[in-house]
Amino acid sequence: MTAVEPQQSVRTGVLEGRPVNLDGFVEEWPEKGLVAMESDFDPAPGIRVEGGRVVELDGRARADFDFMDTFIADHAIDVASAEESTAIPSAQIARMLVDPGVSRGEVLAVTRGLTPAKILDVVKLMNVVEIMQAMQKMRARRTPANQAHSTSARDNPVQVAADAAEGALRGFAELETTLGVVRYAPLVAIALQVGGQVGRGGVLTQCALEEATELELGMRGITAYAETISVYGTESVFVDGDDTPWSKAFLASAYASRGIKMRFTSGTGSEVQMGNAEGRSMLYLEIRCILMAKGAGVQGLQNGSISCIGVPGAVPGGIRAVAAENLVASMVDLECASGNDQSFSHSAMRRTARLMPQLLPGTDFVCSGFSAVPNADNMFAGSNFDTEDYDDWNTIQRDLQVDGGLRHVREPEILQARDRAARALQALFAHLDLPPVTDAEVEAATYANSSADYPPRDVLADLKGAQAVMDRGVTGLDLVRGLETTGFSDVAQNLLQVLRQRVSGDLLQTSAVLTADFTPLSAINDANDYAGPGTGYRLSGERWEELKKLRHVTSAEDPEREVG
Amino acid sequence: MTTAAPGRTLTLRETGPATRGTRPDEVVVVVSPAFAGSFTKTIVDVPHAEVLRQLLAGIEEQGVTARVVRVWDTADLAAISHTGAKLSGSGIAVGMLSRGTTMIHQRDLPRLSNLELFPQSPLLDAPVFRQIGSNAAQYAKGESPQPVPTRNDQMARPRWQAKAALLHLKEFECIRAGQPPVEVEPVFGRAG
Repeated sequence: MTAVEPQQSVRTGVLEGRPVNLDGFVEEWPEKGLVAMESDFDPAPGIRVEGGRVVELDGRARADFDFMDTFIADHAIDVASAEESTAIPSAQIARMLVDPGVSRGEVLAVTRGLTPAKILDVVKLMNVVEIMQAMQKMRARRTPANQAHSTSARDNPVQVAADAAEGALRGFAELETTLGVVRYAPLVAIALQVGGQVGRGGVLTQCALEEATELELGMRGITAYAETISVYGTESVFVDGDDTPWSKAFLASAYASRGIKMRFTSGTGSEVQMGNAEGRSMLYLEIRCILMAKGAGVQGLQNGSISCIGVPGAVPGGIRAVAAENLVASMVDLECASGNDQSFSHSAMRRTARLMPQLLPGTDFVCSGFSAVPNADNMFAGSNFDTEDYDDWNTIQRDLQVDGGLRHVREPEILQARDRAARALQALFAHLDLPPVTDAEVEAATYANSSADYPPRDVLADLKGAQAVMDRGVTGLDLVRGLETTGFSDVAQNLLQVLRQRVSGDLLQTSAVLTADFTPLSAINDANDYAGPGTGYRLSGERWEELKKLRHVTSAEDPEREVG
Repeated sequence: MTTAAPGRTLTLRETGPATRGTRPDEVVVVVSPAFAGSFTKTIVDVPHAEVLRQLLAGIEEQGVTARVVRVWDTADLAAISHTGAKLSGSGIAVGMLSRGTTMIHQRDLPRLSNLELFPQSPLLDAPVFRQIGSNAAQYAKGESPQPVPTRNDQMARPRWQAKAALLHLKEFECIRAGQPPVEVEPVFGRAG
């Protein structure tokens, strides 16, 4: 060995050690769909309507439609305006989206007639600032909100109850859980529901499971909403999953029949991940998913790449495409839970940059799952943000005067809510003859950070208990009754109010959430009215006072004191 | 991340069409189109030679025999594994993709259900492959082994997801539509 290896500079060595270099990056491969949104293989926009029926869509004649084309043509596109809207130059539609002088309603009158390729053609013209400007106007609900994951690496229901209570207190409008061991689901779903109603009444909860079980828990009133209904942008991926657009639409109607809030899930990258992108860009296929959701009549969509975020994150322009897909959901009048819910990067700077197009303009739910547990407890495989990011998040809200849906809460309030959630669960489990929650577990729940801080539970007994919940036909009303009987009347009342919403059906409106006093806020009664500077949702008044609070703020009056 | 001793090579020599086994004490190891062909190592560079050697060792240690089969017409892990299970005399198969994703399947289960799934290919190293072989053999003997402990890494997605997609697309290109599975004989060697 005589050749001298070229030496690496100290600076390069430092750069190599930065977390961003642990992220995976790949070259584009447009022929296989490994490309974000700028692909020569995407079809050109076009539509032809004959006799009230779409006969040609984006260059394909009806005889050649795949089932996505058929579904979108027959259910998602307004045939009355389609030819006229699709003929408007894309640059003009993009300008309408950005221009605060054009109302949201005027934009919707155009977008409801657009084809998938036309929508892509419009958003491809927009840079990320323009996408954000458009999102500010196009999101359905005026007031932004946030959503959290509350899970446990040990599927410990006591932990889930306590963390749900804290999450509710910190401001999340929706909480979702899932399981390591699926059979645990009934107990954990109950814990989430109870904990959520302790922190603040009106928090909506869901348990992400295989679809039939998820539907059953919803129908029983053990959960309040659902969003784990995946749709895909190509026929081949749908077929691989033994599904069709019609089967998903049927499932959606099953939820709607019981007044249960529901949205679909999709996102860039899933088709290429499954090897069946059919040579189309990720965003083009995602637009097909968005229109499929629209056509199925569901009120919303969880998108923003979701569990395939590693794929758009790895290709050039991918995060811009993710911001664009959120915008497209909003611009066809769907609720948008905008992602930021899966581990995305090793780099703190990149994690934050990926968030900005959702946090700054505000979306219906900024995260589709901020991890309200430490990431190691996150059974959705880790979130872009977790409990360690609470103070940073609160500080960013304060710095930029933006509403990311959270607030700082002082520790005594948190401890009280956690303790009460664990006690309510203890009482309810005893009432329902489920495996006991010990006082030691309540104590642990009050002060814990992660699942490792709890005494282990008797897993086999819990699994039997979980099965008993299903066998005995326990419903949401049984939970209300149990909480009322055991002295947790306020929690019982809160849960009853959430169940009553099933009957009124208000939660079926686009982008519906419940305030702490159970007023539904949705695109109907809290419609986004952004129309330029000084209009729309502004962070002011009581909410702004709330967001000014951080863990450490020096008192102006007495600099030797901290106010919180 | 584990890299095996360098220099071990593997060739899968086709010996004829794969047939239904009759021995009740066998496990079929069934590999995807690019395994030990177009690709030589998993997503984290564990050589396919090492992967297969460990699997076979894990099976043999339980006193069970193994046959190796290559599937040509799909790169879907569930389809590959279930094909193997239907060929296996015991009804048990271990299916593998080139990037390392592995599944233990049983003939009588639905295709999309399985006995054990190891979805996070970047976390699979030589000792895990040996345990997988051992568990498959125990199922073949009618036993109920403790499932191989699953590992979880919340940073696997940012690090590996896109490369996994790329490897999957490349594996898709090796598919030979309509070509039935073939029996293969693993030939281990030393390079250099």
